[in-house]
Amino acid sequence: MTRGVTIRRRLIPYWLLAPGAIWLALFFVVPMYFMGELALRSGTPAIGFTFDWAWSNFPDSLDGNTEQIVRSFYYSGVATVLALLIAYPLAYAIAQASERWRPLLLFAVIAPFFTTYLIRTIAWKTILADSSPVVDVLRTLALVPDDGRVLATSGAVIAGLTYNFLPFMILPIYASIERLDMRLVEAAKDLYASSRQAFLRVTLPITAPGIVAGVLLTFIPAFGDYVNAAILGGTNQAMIGNRIQSLYLFQRDYPEAAALSFLMMALILIMVVVYIRLAGTEASMGEEDEGR
Amino acid sequence: MKAATRTLVVAALMLAAALVAAACGSEDTIGGGNQGEVQVAKAGKPTGDITISNWPGYIDPGKNGTVAEFEDKFDVNVSHIEDVNDNVQFFGKLQPQLEQGQSGGRSLFVVTDWMAKQMYDLGYLQELNHPDLKTVFDNIRPELEKSESDPQRKFSIPWQGGLTGIWVDTKKAPEIKSVDDLFDPKYKGKVTMLTEMRDTVPLILQSQGIDVDEATKEDWLAAIDRLKEAADSGQIRRFTGNEYTEDLTSGNVVAAIGWSGDASLIGREGVEWRKPTDGCDLFFDQMVIPAGAPNTAAALAFMNFVYRPEVQADIAEYVNYVTPVEGVQEILTKRDPELGQNPLIFPPAGLTKGCSGDPDPPGDAKDQQEVTEAFQDVITG
Amino acid sequence: MEPATVTARPLPSLPARAWRWLRRNALRIYAGLAVTYMLIPIVVIAVFSFGETPRDRLDFALHSFTLEYWQHAFAIEELNDALITSVKLAGLATLGSTVIGTLMALALVRHKFFGRRAANLLIILPMASPEIVIGAALLSMFVYYQVALGFTTLLIAHIMFSISFVVVVVRSRLIGFDRSLEEAAQDLGATPLETFRYVTLPLLAPGIVAAALLAFALSIDDFVISNFNSGTTVTFPLYVFGVALRGIPVQVNAIATMLFIVTSLAILLVIWQQRHAERMAAVQPETEREPVIAQPLPPAPGAAGG
Repeated sequence: MTRGVTIRRRLIPYWLLAPGAIWLALFFVVPMYFMGELALRSGTPAIGFTFDWAWSNFPDSLDGNTEQIVRSFYYSGVATVLALLIAYPLAYAIAQASERWRPLLLFAVIAPFFTTYLIRTIAWKTILADSSPVVDVLRTLALVPDDGRVLATSGAVIAGLTYNFLPFMILPIYASIERLDMRLVEAAKDLYASSRQAFLRVTLPITAPGIVAGVLLTFIPAFGDYVNAAILGGTNQAMIGNRIQSLYLFQRDYPEAAALSFLMMALILIMVVVYIRLAGTEASMGEEDEGR
Repeated sequence: MKAATRTLVVAALMLAAALVAAACGSEDTIGGGNQGEVQVAKAGKPTGDITISNWPGYIDPGKNGTVAEFEDKFDVNVSHIEDVNDNVQFFGKLQPQLEQGQSGGRSLFVVTDWMAKQMYDLGYLQELNHPDLKTVFDNIRPELEKSESDPQRKFSIPWQGGLTGIWVDTKKAPEIKSVDDLFDPKYKGKVTMLTEMRDTVPLILQSQGIDVDEATKEDWLAAIDRLKEAADSGQIRRFTGNEYTEDLTSGNVVAAIGWSGDASLIGREGVEWRKPTDGCDLFFDQMVIPAGAPNTAAALAFMNFVYRPEVQADIAEYVNYVTPVEGVQEILTKRDPELGQNPLIFPPAGLTKGCSGDPDPPGDAKDQQEVTEAFQDVITG
Repeated sequence: MEPATVTARPLPSLPARAWRWLRRNALRIYAGLAVTYMLIPIVVIAVFSFGETPRDRLDFALHSFTLEYWQHAFAIEELNDALITSVKLAGLATLGSTVIGTLMALALVRHKFFGRRAANLLIILPMASPEIVIGAALLSMFVYYQVALGFTTLLIAHIMFSISFVVVVVRSRLIGFDRSLEEAAQDLGATPLETFRYVTLPLLAPGIVAAALLAFALSIDDFVISNFNSGTTVTFPLYVFGVALRGIPVQVNAIATMLFIVTSLAILLVIWQQRHAERMAAVQPETEREPVIAQPLPPAPGAAGG
C-alpha cells in the first residue's frame, strides 16, 4: 500500500511537468530539427527544394552574409555596453530609493513594455527625424554634422537597440543589487577602503551575477533583432536578422535562410553554454530551500 | 554541471538520430509550385463577403469611393486591404498558402504583370472565362487585349498602368531631371530607389545608355553593382516599396524613384513626378484571382464593375494612373478639361516611347535567379 | 568622521554648496534623467495622437490640438480587426500558457526528480533564444508539413514562448511560500487536493495573475514570431508594421496610448492587490530580511551645516 502511494507520489512531478515539457519539446526543440532539415536542401523557389545533404549551404550562407554577421555583433555589442553603463547606476539608484519611490521607479522602467515594440521604435523614428528639434539640438552640439542625419545610420540603430533592451539589463542588475547587504560595504569602509575600492571589491563582485544575466538577456535578443534596423536603419545597416527575414519571407529561399539562422543559433548557444558554466543553472534558477 | 552537459549531449544525439532517420525517408520536394489542376473562376450572382488586396492609393476606399459604390450596387461586403507594397514581399507573404491551393482569404488581388505570370506558371491563379467578363472585354483598350505576359488574357485583367520615374521635391532639389542625377554626391543620403528589380534596374541600364531589350546578364549585374556602390557609400538612403511616399512627405529625401500616380500619398507641397530624361519604365498592374479563392462570383463582378467607363473615370480621377478602359478620356474631359489632358492618365505616345516594360532579367531560369539574388542582396543591405 | 568642533565656521559659498548638493544627489538626478529617457517615446506617442494631421496619417510634425482621433479611435476597420485578433489570440494564449506554466512551476519547485536540470534548461532556452530563431524554426516545421499558417499556428507559437515566463514568475512566488499554512490545513484533515484548492491556490493567485498578465502582454506585443508564422492573419503589431510603410493612421497612436494606460492600471492593480493579499495571509515576500537600503552615513555631529 505504501509502496503504491510512493510510486504515485513520485510520478506527480512528471504529470505536472508533462503538458509544458511536451509543448516546449514539440514546438521549440523539434522545429530546430526541421530547420536543420531545410538547411540541407537545395534548389530554387521556382522548382522547389529537395533534400540532398547540402552541407555547403552552411559555409555558403556564412560567406554571403559575413558583413551582416559582423555588423550584428558590433551593433548588439555596443548597445549592450551602453545599456550596461546606463542601467547599472539606475539600478543602484532604484535600490537606494525609499520604499515609496521604488515601485514607481520600477514601474517607469518597465513602462516602455506597455506600448507595442514597433510603436516605440517608430516613435524614435519621429524623434530622430531629419527635421525634428532633437536632431537640430544635436547638430548645434556638433554631435551630428550640419548636413548629416541621425536616421538611417548605425547610430540610430544602436540607439534603438539600447533603448528597447534596456529593461532587460536593468531588472537583473537591480535584482542582484537589491540582495546586496550594505553592511558588507560599510564593513569594507570601516576597514579603510575608499568608496571606489568598496565598490570595486565588494559591490561589483557581489552583483556580478546580475550583470552577467543582464548582459546575456540584452545581447542575445539584440543580436537577432531586425526591427530596429528595418525602421531606423537604411541601406547599410542590415543585420543578420534582416537577412534571415528577407530570405524566409520574401525570397523564400528556405535552405539558405535555415542555414543562416542555424549558424546564428550556434553562435548564441556557445555563449549560453559559457554563461551556464560561469554562473551555474542553480544560481540563476534559485530553487526552493532543500533543507526543509 | 555534469548532468547539464549530459543532457545536452543526449539531446544532440537524439537530434542527430532523428535527422538521419527522416533524411532516409524524405523524398518530397518543398515548394516548386502547385501541381494541381488549374481551376477556372466560377461566375454567379455576387453576394456575401469578399477580400481584395491592392496597392495603396489605387482606389478610393472612402465612404464615397468606388469600393463603397460597388458594395451598394451589388450587396457585397468588401474588405479592401492595401497590403501590396512590393510584388516580391506580397508574394512571399502569400506563397506558402498559394502553394497548397489556398488563397489566404483573398478573392482578388492586384500585382504587376510579370508577377501575375510567375504566379500563373506556378499554378497559383485561376483562369478567367471571357464570357463572364463581358463588360471588361467590351471596354478594354484594344492595345491591352493581349499582352506579352498574358497573350490570351487567361488569368489577368489590367487594373491600372503607370510610369516609373522620379519624384522630385522641387523646393529643395529642382535640378534633378535624370536617373543619373540621383547619383550626384550633392544628394547623398537624400535619395531612395525602389525594391522592385524590374523597375529600378532597367532605369539604371537606360541611364548607362544600354538598350534594355539587348542587355545581357552581365549588363544587369553591372547595373546592380553600381547600385551596390551607391548603397554602400550611403548615396541611396534606402530601397523602398510604396513607402518612398513617406520619406518624401517627411522631408527625409529630396528625390525618389517612384510611380507616377502616387500624388495622393505624398503630403508635401512642391513634390512632382518627372519622367527621367535618360529613360523610363511603363508597367501595367493586373487583377488576378488566386486558386482557392472564395466568392469568385463577386470577384468577377468587381472586375466587370470597374470596367464601366463611368466608374473607371472615378478611379482615374482619384488615382491619376493610366487607365485601361476606352472612353474614359471623353468623360473626364467633360468633368474637368485639365484632367482630361493629364499626361499621367492619358500619356501621349511620345511619353511612353522607349520605355522599358518591367522586363525579366535576361537568360534562363538559373541566370534570372542569379540576377535576382544579386539584387536582393543589395536591397536588403 | 570629523571630530566634533565647537568653532563656528562661516557658511560655504553658494557654488560650493550647490556642488555638494549635486554630489549628494547625483544618483537621484541621474535616475530622474534615465527614467525620463525611458519615458520619452511614450510621451511622444501620446502627444502625436492629439495633432490635427492632414490625410490622417502621422507625419512627424506638430499640429493643432484635436480630440478627433480619440473620439474615432475605432474608425478603421482593418485596425479593429487586427486588435480583435490580437486580443483573442492573447486571451487564449494566456489561458494555455498560464495553466501549463503553473503546473510546471509547481513541479520544479516542490519536487525533486530526475530530469529536473534538463527541465530547467528547457525553460531557459526559449527565453534566451532570439525571437527570430524561434519564429524561423517554427516556420521551418510548418513549411515542411505544409501546415496552413494562420490563427492556429500563431496560437501555438504564442503559448510556446509564454510558458517560460509564466514558470519563472510563478516559481519566484512559490519559493517565498509559507508551507506551514499548508501543513496546518493537512493537520486539520484536508486532503492534498483540498489543500491545494483552498490554501495553496488562493495564496498563489497573485503570482499566477502576475504571470498571466505578463503572458498577455507578451502575446499582444509579439511581432517577430508572429511575422514569421501568421500567414495572412493580421495581429495588431503586424498591422502597425504594414501601415508603417504606407503611413500610420493617427488612431494607432491613440490606441497605443490607451493600451499603455490600461496595462499600467492593471499592473498597479496587481501590485496593490498583492500587497493586500500578503498582509492578509502573512506570507512573507521573498526577501525576508530587511530590504537593504543604502543610506548615506548620517552627518557627523557638529559638521559644518550644509
